[in-house]
Formats: sequence, C-alpha cells, structure tokens
Amino acid sequence: MTVTNAMFTIERTLKASPARVFAAYSSLEAKSAWFKTPSDIETLNRDFDFRVGGVERFRARWPSGMVSDFQATYHDIVENERIILVYDLFHDADKLSVSLMTLEFRAEGDGTRLIHTEQGTYLSGGVEAVKGREHGTTWHVENLVALIEGREAKPFS
Amino acid sequence: MVERLSLGPASVSELAKPLPMTLSAVVQHLKVLEEAGLVTSQKVGRVRTCTLDIGAMTQVERWVAERKRFWEQQYDQLEAYLARTAPQEGEQ
Repeated sequence: MTVTNAMFTIERTLKASPARVFAAYSSLEAKSAWFKTPSDIETLNRDFDFRVGGVERFRARWPSGMVSDFQATYHDIVENERIILVYDLFHDADKLSVSLMTLEFRAEGDGTRLIHTEQGTYLSGGVEAVKGREHGTTWHVENLVALIEGREAKPFS
Repeated sequence: MVERLSLGPASVSELAKPLPMTLSAVVQHLKVLEEAGLVTSQKVGRVRTCTLDIGAMTQVERWVAERKRFWEQQYDQLEAYLARTAPQEGEQ
C-alpha cells in the first residue's frame, strides 16, 4: 500500500450572505436539502452533531452492495466564518482516505466567497480496491467526460 | 471531444469544428480536462495541440480529481438551494 498526499481547492462565489451559507452546513435539515445523494441508496447510519468534537457520519449501501462510510469530526467552528473537519472515507472495509476539510465563508459584496480546501492522505491500497467496482476508473472517467461535454454526470453511485 | 482525442492528438480548432459549441466553450472544456489531468496540450506557433493522457494519471490522482468533481456537483446543488430559499425583498 502506498500513501499519496494531495490537496485541492474549490472556490465559489455565492449569491447569499455568509450567514445563509453557514446555515446551509450547520443543520441536518438544511444540508440534506442540497447535499445530493441518489435515491436508490439505503442509508444505514446518519449522525449529525454540529459542534466542535461532534461527529458526522453517513454510511450507506449502494445498489452494487458496496457500503460507503463517511466518518467526520468537527475540529473548529466559527459561526458564519469557517468550519474545519477531519474525515475518514471507507468503502466496505477499505479505508480510502483521511482528509482535512476547511470551509471558509468570506463576505464579498452582497455575496459570499466559499473556499473549500481539502488536504488528503490517500491510501492507494484502499483506492485500488475500489477498481472494478462501480466507483472504478471507468466511472470516474465517464463522469469527467460527461462534465466536460456538458451532460449530466451520473450520481455518485 | 474526448472520443476524438482518443483517436490521437488534435488541434483546438479541429476539436471545435464538429461540435455545436463556440470556440471559447471548447477552450473552457479543454481547460477543465487539463485541470483534471486527462488532457495535455502543447503550443507550437499559433496551433495548440491537445493529447488525451488518461494513462498518465494514477488511480489515486483520478480518485482525487473525482472527489473534486463530486464537490463541484454538490456546490451546484448548494447554489440552487440558496436561490430557492433566498429571502424576498424587504424580508431580510
């Protein structure tokens, strides 16, 4: 098994105040209204304890039978400004990654600049175990291609 | 576009020609493909030639690119949600 460290950043300018963007993350009700999961998955565990030291978990069974498990702990929360969490991602028994996710909400005019930074340690043994399943290479490439060519990407399934 | 590139390298204008989109839209799409590490390009004189480079990506790189794409998709949903729930004028 090899270890790869990687980082990516996503920036969005949103037409909403930092308070509204922060609110979209801070309750399960609001987050569930936009965080899209396909309808054909079976939710096995859904925990949402939004406070420093609190745990968020989303464990689900996919049509292929694969069970994905997102296990996060909130490390820092400053209302309307930032959220920092650390999460592990599993597919069945394989740990794919351990990641530090930082969300910053910066007021910009009437809106908000959202800066999502992930610094991840990717465990290739786990990632390669995914190969050949629904989440394998073909699916990644197909979705990237769909995105580029302006077609709807297949849901994360 | 990717289908065409899988046959071999092509210039930006060759890629744009059969597509029902503007040249700038094609350039934008190529930029996303390059950022995802799927395409490399080289400029010789005034011609930029693009090459499909899926093999160059490791499984992990592809996975990271996918995680990024996953979040981009979620944020499209967030934008729609914020628009849907925007306070009416005078309400805020």
